Amino acid sequence: MIKTLIATTALVTGFSAAAGAETIGVSIPAATHGWAGALNFHAERTVERLEKVYPDLDFVLTTTPDSATQVSDLEDMVATRGIDALVVLPFESEPLTGPIQRIADSGTWVTVVDRGLAVDGIENLYVAGDNNSFGRTAGEYFAETLDEGAKVVVMRGIPSTVDNERVAGFEAAIDGAGIEVLAMDHGNWNRDTAFTLMQDWLSRFGQIDAVWAADDDMAVGALAAIEQAGRTGEMFVVGGAGMKEMVDRIRSGDKSVPVNVTYPPAMISTAIEMTAAGIVGNAPMSGDFIIASELITLDNADDFYFEDSPY
Amino acid sequence: MSMAPAQKISTPARRRIDLQVVGPIVALIALVLIGMALNSNFLSYANITNVLARSSFIGIIAVGMTFVITAGGLDLSVGSMAAFVAGLMILVMNLLTDRLGVTLPVIFAGVALALISGLVAGLINGLLITRVGIEAFIVTLGTMGIYRSLITWLADGGTLSLGFEMRELYRPVYYGGIAGISWPILAFVAVAIIGEIVMRHTAFGRHCAAIGSNERVARYSSIAVLRVRLATYVLLGVLVGFAVVMYVPRLGSASASTGLLWELEAIAAVIIGGTLLKGGFGRIWGTVVGVLILSLIGNILNLTDFVSPYLNGAIQGAVIILAVVLQRKGAADR
Amino acid sequence: MSDPILSLKGISKSFGPIEVLHDVDFELRPGEIHALIGENGAGKSTTMKILGGYIDATAGEVLWHGQPTHFPSSDEAEARGIVMIHQEFNLAEHLGVDQNVFLGREITRGWRLDHKAMRTRTAELLDRLECRVDPAVRVSGLSVPAKQMVEIAKALSRDLRVLIMDEPTAVLTERECEILFRQIERLRAKGVAILYTSHKLSEVTRLCDRVTVLRDGAMVRSAPVSDITEEEMAAAMVGRELSDLYPAKAVPRDEVLLEVENLSVPGVVESASLTLRRGEVLGLGGLVGSGRTEFAEALAGLRPREGRVRLMGEDLPASEVRTALQRGLVYLTEDRKGAGLLLDKGLRENLTLPLLERFGGPLIDRRAEEAALDRAIEEFAIRAPDRRMRVGNLSGGNQQKLLLAKTLLSDPQVILIDEPTRGIDIGTKQQIYALIAGLAAEGCAILVISSEMPELIGLASRVLVMHAGRITGALEGDDVTEGAIVRLAMGLDDNREGAAA
Repeated sequence: MIKTLIATTALVTGFSAAAGAETIGVSIPAATHGWAGALNFHAERTVERLEKVYPDLDFVLTTTPDSATQVSDLEDMVATRGIDALVVLPFESEPLTGPIQRIADSGTWVTVVDRGLAVDGIENLYVAGDNNSFGRTAGEYFAETLDEGAKVVVMRGIPSTVDNERVAGFEAAIDGAGIEVLAMDHGNWNRDTAFTLMQDWLSRFGQIDAVWAADDDMAVGALAAIEQAGRTGEMFVVGGAGMKEMVDRIRSGDKSVPVNVTYPPAMISTAIEMTAAGIVGNAPMSGDFIIASELITLDNADDFYFEDSPY
Repeated sequence: MSMAPAQKISTPARRRIDLQVVGPIVALIALVLIGMALNSNFLSYANITNVLARSSFIGIIAVGMTFVITAGGLDLSVGSMAAFVAGLMILVMNLLTDRLGVTLPVIFAGVALALISGLVAGLINGLLITRVGIEAFIVTLGTMGIYRSLITWLADGGTLSLGFEMRELYRPVYYGGIAGISWPILAFVAVAIIGEIVMRHTAFGRHCAAIGSNERVARYSSIAVLRVRLATYVLLGVLVGFAVVMYVPRLGSASASTGLLWELEAIAAVIIGGTLLKGGFGRIWGTVVGVLILSLIGNILNLTDFVSPYLNGAIQGAVIILAVVLQRKGAADR
Repeated sequence: MSDPILSLKGISKSFGPIEVLHDVDFELRPGEIHALIGENGAGKSTTMKILGGYIDATAGEVLWHGQPTHFPSSDEAEARGIVMIHQEFNLAEHLGVDQNVFLGREITRGWRLDHKAMRTRTAELLDRLECRVDPAVRVSGLSVPAKQMVEIAKALSRDLRVLIMDEPTAVLTERECEILFRQIERLRAKGVAILYTSHKLSEVTRLCDRVTVLRDGAMVRSAPVSDITEEEMAAAMVGRELSDLYPAKAVPRDEVLLEVENLSVPGVVESASLTLRRGEVLGLGGLVGSGRTEFAEALAGLRPREGRVRLMGEDLPASEVRTALQRGLVYLTEDRKGAGLLLDKGLRENLTLPLLERFGGPLIDRRAEEAALDRAIEEFAIRAPDRRMRVGNLSGGNQQKLLLAKTLLSDPQVILIDEPTRGIDIGTKQQIYALIAGLAAEGCAILVISSEMPELIGLASRVLVMHAGRITGALEGDDVTEGAIVRLAMGLDDNREGAAA
């Protein structure tokens, strides 16, 4: 019964689409940490910009603190707003696969961002960062820069698929380079946790040549601990995700922060733009769109510095 | 009607009290011994300073929490409140820096603001609980969500950072100290000592215990129950503000994940220390021991490869439960 | 005489190093009501708990139908039909009356609870007790006597062989007592063995067949009730002859300390007035629930009130407990354990709680507190095995003395005492009566609220009686009789005109 209703709504809006307003729903996780905050920032900016560019397009933007809320948000979007296209960053893969599949089955265009669904082939468009490449890029830099026998510590994020993929990429890249990983622990993408962890590692190990923190928030914490211990010259820290503050330090040639690895939250902009273009232009842009991580260095740092981003 | 039996009971009474007292201290000593055995750097000056300094935020808050819990209350909002106060403080200090430059008055203003906003936040919790009569659990659960959202909103989902020069000026408050003892440690020690004295030796402390033990008896004993209870929340709020004053110079930033789960750590420390969760009895020194136990567990796990990092939480949980079980066994022997 | 169903033989019990029962023999026979009496702390509770399977004896035997037996828990004892009704009720406050009566033994139909059957059965049981409580209401909303009735109904609902009652009448009014006695007698006729404890010796004479007296944990006398007088019982309990229970009455002076005009507590007390003079002991009688307690609490600032209260010539503001205390008016609660003392704290903390500011500021002077406790222990003859012990472990009489000491710590001028001797043995009662008379002689004005008629008559020079929130009469001199008080308390005589005197 409800399914028919959804189908009808979609059909009706489908007709009216020719006459004008089409609606794109955007559902992303709430801004509970830095990267997600930037994601929100970019999503809001893109929506504002596109509403001006395409007067015929309506956008519905929702942010959710957990999977269950996201499912009900999606149901609301379909039932009350009759969306024609959906851009979604699933909070978790498994619980959202079913609900998104039903929406896709009803004929709505679905763009999935970053976190893949549990079943292949549901989405029309998949836009994602490459976590493996994120870790690999950092690892390759370590392998190139560090001498054989160098000692490093690795600060992981919250235990999750994303984290596992990043670490796997990193480990693969340093394999055979003779780099010793002294310790690896979860800093939970949190500055305070990273600070504490780094303090303890500094007490524990007399020699650390480099730190890989799988996120810039943790890098900030680690750097503060290193500075406190007065061991700033001894090691460098590579974070990730291109936080403004980090990019700035690279720009200014800080020896402690030589490089960074991108994992652009702006991918949400790409996803919304591509979806909008597809809907308006009737030239479906389907397929997978994977944004590989890049290495930010002193040479290209200016290109990655966004003055007004919160992140 | 002879007074003869008076002397007979006193011996077991003394033994029972000792058992209760010794519980958390034994746990703490055990942890220290384990730490020494596992890593030679454990007792180094740097490590001890690190552990004590990082304990100070939760520690200062937990001292306030001891009063709240002793008086039969609870405050779940302290973690979010700390994040919110920190965010507010950074925001205002950045604004003032634009006007006044990188000067000490900006820091004084920031400190005053942190203390006052902590006080106001505590007052709001307290008034809702005592005057409107909503249960503490619900009120503070509500304000917990509110402050957490507010900091996220203030920071636009990202991180609020103190201006670089300001951070350098303010930095010594966390990293500096006198006679090799850093300021946060000194602050924690001062708060704990004053707290212990207030709890054990003043009418306020006694009234808190009386209210937590039996609110009706307290009321019938002409204690201003509502006012005392309100005061516990205000005191906690001010201490949260004070903890923030020590916290902000550490990393100079606040975000939506600042102070996450501090409330539970503070409550756990209070309970490990021997304060009754249902109220009626509290001891500050126990809370201090509880905070140190919690910090040491994390420290020792970081200093070793003893267990998979995935199991850190399990170790912490087990130690918390064990510490309390030890104590309750002591209590049950009465 | 039938054979004993449950008996104790040579029972001793020690808690730690202290032996509280020494070699006690005790028998309960079907169809007999056996009274167990003694002062607080004589070992009655311990004896009952051993019989009820709550605790084990250290030495000696428990016999069931003459066979040595052992109850691993009170549940085992209950399974054999041994039910104990505690002084502190064993009721789930948030459940309904019927749910309480059938708690743990719910009637079911298939897998569902049969609410209707339980409600009907409960109604029948309450009806037999002449108790008009709706089986569906929550226990928390009931008065203390009503709760008692629910406890009894709960016991009645079982296959009852032995009933152990720990001071069941302590919280009941005379009328309720009579109903209870009829029930107990009915149970006796049905062959139930009953253990009955009470501090009211007249009840023992009126109700029981046999009486056993405990003193300091040992059995000092056991005899058929017909062979022993109340005076002999009292003497056996105390171990000496009791002189006159009530001291000489103090003579009221002219100076009026407390004037109450048209005091009302919405829904509970309606325009009550009184005057209280220096040196006067004024009695306040009436049934439980007639508004006596609420009246006193409103005076002390513990409840909101309307009307005018003048204390030593000055208006006393409403709802300010602290002010009342500072101006010399205090209230001693009837609810010793719920509102009087912190049971999990020590004697010192309890004693000084209302007056901490007097013991130094900002830091409390512990030595001054200890000195105050020394004085209180001495003055009020408080018997505590250890002065650091939890107050909850004190006997009822000693708790009451401590509560008196605490309440009188501020040297008040006007003292409102609610049920001064509830659940207290006769020796302690005598001490408390002497204390009250002494205070009056020193110039205090005292209002004594009591459900015990002899207490009012013995202590007070004048008695006011309340009924349904109103003061229905004042009795003075020879007019103060049990009959007159009861008539006023039941609302039969209404000479309210005299009340304002």
